[in-house]
Amino acid sequence: MNAKPKFLTVLDVVAAVMFVTAVSLVFFYAPLERVMGWVQKVFYFHVASAWVGMLAFAVAAVCGVIYLIKKDVRYDRVEFAAIEIGIVFGLLTIVTGSIWARPIWNAWWTWDPRLTTATIMELVYFAYLMLRSGIEEPERRARFGAVYAIIGFLSVPLTFFSIRLFRTIHPVVIGSNDPGAEGAFDMTPKMTQTFMFSLLTFTVGFITLLWHRVRLGTLADRIEQLKMKLQS
Amino acid sequence: MEGPANTVNYFVAGYAVIFGVLGFYLVSLIVRWRNLKQDESMLAELEKKESEG
Amino acid sequence: MNGFTPFMRALGAVVWKDLQAERRSRELISAMLVFAMLVILIFNFALELESNIRANVTAGVLWVTFTFAGQLGLNRSMAVEKDRGCLDGLLLAPVDRAAIYLGKTLANWVFMLLVAAIVLPIYSVLYNTNLFIPGLVLVILLGSEGYVAVGTLLSTMAVQARTRDILLPILLFPVVIPVLVAAVKATGGFLQGLDFSEILPYINMLIVYDVVFTAVAFMVFDSVVEE
Repeated sequence: MNAKPKFLTVLDVVAAVMFVTAVSLVFFYAPLERVMGWVQKVFYFHVASAWVGMLAFAVAAVCGVIYLIKKDVRYDRVEFAAIEIGIVFGLLTIVTGSIWARPIWNAWWTWDPRLTTATIMELVYFAYLMLRSGIEEPERRARFGAVYAIIGFLSVPLTFFSIRLFRTIHPVVIGSNDPGAEGAFDMTPKMTQTFMFSLLTFTVGFITLLWHRVRLGTLADRIEQLKMKLQS
Repeated sequence: MEGPANTVNYFVAGYAVIFGVLGFYLVSLIVRWRNLKQDESMLAELEKKESEG
Repeated sequence: MNGFTPFMRALGAVVWKDLQAERRSRELISAMLVFAMLVILIFNFALELESNIRANVTAGVLWVTFTFAGQLGLNRSMAVEKDRGCLDGLLLAPVDRAAIYLGKTLANWVFMLLVAAIVLPIYSVLYNTNLFIPGLVLVILLGSEGYVAVGTLLSTMAVQARTRDILLPILLFPVVIPVLVAAVKATGGFLQGLDFSEILPYINMLIVYDVVFTAVAFMVFDSVVEE
């Protein structure tokens, strides 16, 4: 009834191995960047985290759409799991972005479009959680969550472009005048390989975590039902 | 030619955060799972008692 | 074309109901206006609105004012509806839900535009700035449309939650940032007399936002009013 699928165990191992490999690549294989030095290596997992954050949001939005059409609670569970994981990786994106910015721009924060959009996205995630926690009935909670997951996800690209437009025409005084140049550097083949592998690792990691989190949610729901049955 | 800037500290901080946050989340998943499993067995026992008694 | 006339009639009815109710009670508009004036007042002291700095800041002050006052109106509009059971009554009627959504959005839009119509001259007088530029009117029209399109949908959800009053701004503000950014920049552009080609990208952004979100909200509104 609750047995862990064998494929998930395999996935766990694969994800773990990939993660260790990625870390090794970042630490030892990728060359030291000419100007920035060691901190540039944060970039590999920073971008990978950002990617997972977006992916999670996209998954949640798609599940939202499907849920609204089919009203199948399983999609709601995946959606909620995806948002939770998205929050974690979004947080990683923002913090590592800040850590990367500090030695390069001498500021803990640059209002760069990508980082700003990531932060706004994180706020949307939190708003999603607050929406859900304000609603008692599970069915309505699922419906509203689905709607906001969709609306939130759609707003992200528009937010990004509007901020980028804002910066292109009025570049920020501190830092480079080229909005695309935030910590820009040329990537050697080794760097590109490390970068690609990090992206792949984080994607596999996301799928693994998502699966686990969905199982957690399913178990939690089952227990709720048991509780209600016993109370009656 | 001056070498790259000495930014090792930031590198360490960055990866400390990454490992820390990911580790924390993994642990939270495991802890929540264990708690739910405990709840489940407790409820199963209660249910058995009710159907017997 | 079959369902079009009853749809439009329902839409018109919803808009008319809201406008009439507001005309009688004047509750919403007065609350929004007072709030808007207070915001402008606070900005006067919070920011040094000296004439030379003011040009850059006016657009921002205006849109922050509209954002906060607009949110107030959205909240009250839905809360009143729910408390008086009007929402349920509307839903019982054999009317396309989408007509209800469009009707409420249109009514909210009118309220916001009314507030803008009063705030603009007052701001002009208080700060000796001419705000009566056609471009500005366009920006206000486009910006407020996107704002109420999303706001009406989200306020419908928020009003059904326990945390009703604080929830709407938390849900709305992050999602409405593209409107804010584009509207502020476009407004600033018109006030500074920039070339239209420089302002156009922001106008386009507003249009895209309006179209996308009005369409999406229209499609999902059903799901937020089911019982």
